[in-house]
Amino acid sequence: MSSLSRSDLLKSLGAVGLVALPAPVLAQSPKQGGTLVMCVEPDPPTLAAYINTAQPVGEVACHVYDGLCEYNFDLKPIPSLATSWTASSDGKTIAFKLRKGVKWHDGTPFSSADVQFSVMEVLKKHHPRGINTFRQLETIDTPDDSTAVFHFRLPSPYVWVALSGYESPIVSKHLFAGTDVMTSKYANAPVGTGPFKFVEWQRGQYIRLDRNADYWRPQEPYLERIVVRYIANAETRSASMQTGEIEYAAYGAIPYFDVARLDKSPGIASTTRGYEMQNPIVQLDFNTRTKPFSDVRVRQAIAYAIDRKFVIDHIWFGFGKPATGPISSNLAPTGFYTADVKNYNVPNGIEIANKLLDEAGYPRKAGGTRFEIVHDITPYGEVWQRFGEYVKQALDKLGIGVTLRYEDVPTWLRRIYANYDFQMTSNWLNTFGDPVIGVDRQYSSWSIKKGTVFVNDSGWSTPQTDKLMEEAAVEPDPKKRAALYHRFQKLVVEAVPVTWIFELHFVTVYHKKFHGLIASPLGDYAPFNGVWLAT
Amino acid sequence: MGIAAARTRYILRRLSQVLPMIFVIVSLDFLLVHAAPGNPAQVLAGEAGSATPQYMALLNHEFGLDKPFYIQYLDYVKNVFSLNLGYSFRDGMPVLQLILQRLPATLILMGATIFISIVGGILLGLLAAQRPNSLRDNAISTFALLSYATPLFWIGLMLIVAFSLNLRWFPSSGMQNVAEFYTGWKAVADIAHHLVLPAITLSSFYMALYVRLMRSSVLEHRLMDYVVAARSKGLTEPAITFGHILRNACLPVVTMAGVQVGNLLGGSVVVEAVFGWPGIGQLAFHALFARNLNLLLGIFFIAACLVIAVNLLVDVLYTFLDPRIELR
Repeated sequence: MSSLSRSDLLKSLGAVGLVALPAPVLAQSPKQGGTLVMCVEPDPPTLAAYINTAQPVGEVACHVYDGLCEYNFDLKPIPSLATSWTASSDGKTIAFKLRKGVKWHDGTPFSSADVQFSVMEVLKKHHPRGINTFRQLETIDTPDDSTAVFHFRLPSPYVWVALSGYESPIVSKHLFAGTDVMTSKYANAPVGTGPFKFVEWQRGQYIRLDRNADYWRPQEPYLERIVVRYIANAETRSASMQTGEIEYAAYGAIPYFDVARLDKSPGIASTTRGYEMQNPIVQLDFNTRTKPFSDVRVRQAIAYAIDRKFVIDHIWFGFGKPATGPISSNLAPTGFYTADVKNYNVPNGIEIANKLLDEAGYPRKAGGTRFEIVHDITPYGEVWQRFGEYVKQALDKLGIGVTLRYEDVPTWLRRIYANYDFQMTSNWLNTFGDPVIGVDRQYSSWSIKKGTVFVNDSGWSTPQTDKLMEEAAVEPDPKKRAALYHRFQKLVVEAVPVTWIFELHFVTVYHKKFHGLIASPLGDYAPFNGVWLAT
Repeated sequence: MGIAAARTRYILRRLSQVLPMIFVIVSLDFLLVHAAPGNPAQVLAGEAGSATPQYMALLNHEFGLDKPFYIQYLDYVKNVFSLNLGYSFRDGMPVLQLILQRLPATLILMGATIFISIVGGILLGLLAAQRPNSLRDNAISTFALLSYATPLFWIGLMLIVAFSLNLRWFPSSGMQNVAEFYTGWKAVADIAHHLVLPAITLSSFYMALYVRLMRSSVLEHRLMDYVVAARSKGLTEPAITFGHILRNACLPVVTMAGVQVGNLLGGSVVVEAVFGWPGIGQLAFHALFARNLNLLLGIFFIAACLVIAVNLLVDVLYTFLDPRIELR
């Protein structure tokens, strides 16, 4: 997985032409019609993908909103709302030629004004990752309705992996301009340019998306309808997948211990493909603003205490690989990743941890307990509750009394990211294809934004790491960039504001009668315009 | 005075008694709101911080938080009785609308459950008592014991495994087929199809109760004078059983059923979770997780009204079933 350097980019520009449909190799030709019933877990808190990047939000919204590009399995951008692009030689200007004849779901025509508004007013200001992705973006010029010219203060090569409808959805200027973006009524009734239109949302039951007959790809989408169901109970989800009541479930909606069994059922398959651009890492976030986690020794102690292999094997049933730091090992080919950091994955971890806690001034009291904490659990279902229970037992060995707390998604988001009213929470974040997109948002001082979700919640930052991130973001030489990120990883892993448990391998379970479901490295964060039902 | 007129008077008198009960419930709601930590308006706004400042100001005004306690109380009572139960920011709609949206699903499930458990309980109890300690009686009694003892969620999951996964007779979740979106009679049939497993699950527990109750009631009645008299008159056993004993012996069951309606709402949370049935049981559960006190109190109030209504219905039903009851 590589982030694109400027030279790579200029080489690939020649290949980009007009409307280029991704070319699926099909034995049969796509048929029109059919309904796909898919399942998400947990229930989406909102459909405003332009400000909320919680996992289930994108799974629904990406079929409604388009982006400038989508991606093929080489992780190169392919045209979507943008049909072609040229970059200046200094990398500070990118001109996008936009597709003509595209209409919003309410009938109004799409134009470059929508792109300018979406990126400058919505994504750059409010999107959890857009804040970093478009940090160097100064203005967008719109010389005509189908041209948008991005002007950057400094080159931002990582922007090229952040242009999908999931990462940077384009919203309609005429519906949002002049209103408060954070509380728009279109949050839960999205209007986009994508292959499916939003029809209705019965909370706690289903979201109905109907085919957009005016979609800009001829003949697509093939499906008549997508229904996104929410089923609270994990066993019921497995049962419903088996009976065919749901036909697609991604992001671990099917419990991991059921995947192998369902995979053997006739007509059902499972795959770990479709997550190549995500690189999720499961972690424990510490609130470094207050005791006890303001002390680095306490944080390190907890990092030593977790048996990562145990968690992978027994809670996630083998779907993962131990993590060493903030950058995923999947980025090794780019040179950004290094394993040469403080290693918390040692056999005598508990011993070291106990010593650290003694040094930090938290001796064991009469009953053997040092202190009590409240551990918030990611509200994404049963597997996270099991993980919370394991953490409680692991920390018990250190003499830390843990009370578990499990709330629903919006409450948890508000507690962690708006009120900072937590001590330690489990979490998982996608680190994506370039550290600027997925990693900087967790450790930089400018990503401490009260109310914005999935950014720096620990409150930790240092001038040195800030500087390293800033320099690496604009460094054109890949070797120098890698060196900067190596130093960054060493410092962050030493300070351990969050502790990284493992790199998650998500699983998608689906019915084979649907073709084209795994067509993008973004999985079900890419629109299902090419999905068709074999009857 | 004719029996119909007496009955009408009885109903009206009972209705007038209902009002004070509702008043007490509303008062309890009010006390709960003030007992919860924090500013009552904040408590009522539900999720801290998700309410806009304008809404908080509105709440403060509506609930008169700067006015003396008794005026606050009267304002609150006035709001509830005019069915202003507040606004849920999580779901972007008034609490009342949210509850009313999900109430039909619960009512359907409850109705089906009450029907199955009462009819099934009465018939099985009757069958068991006809020949006490026979094989039939023992089989039915054992079945009742097992149904009573087994947890609802386990029964639900086992029914899904047997009838949904293996036999493919019934769907495993949801209230309707969301791939098809049927309308009209097809929709009714679709909902009925989805209703079978959840209703059987929820009614298993209550039916067990009614079976045992009916059985002992029938056994008691078989020894009574009127049965002896009927037998000596020459009536056949079926005529005695279904014409006389049934109507008298089922009274305890009806009483019990009326009392159990409140429990039903609670038990439905589990069944609704297992089967993905979109009722207010699930809504209450999620409101609890979300600390959405507004919504919880609204559900509490509506549920309480429901229980009162059903109890009233049971009382009225009694007057049809047992002419000995005086309509005072």
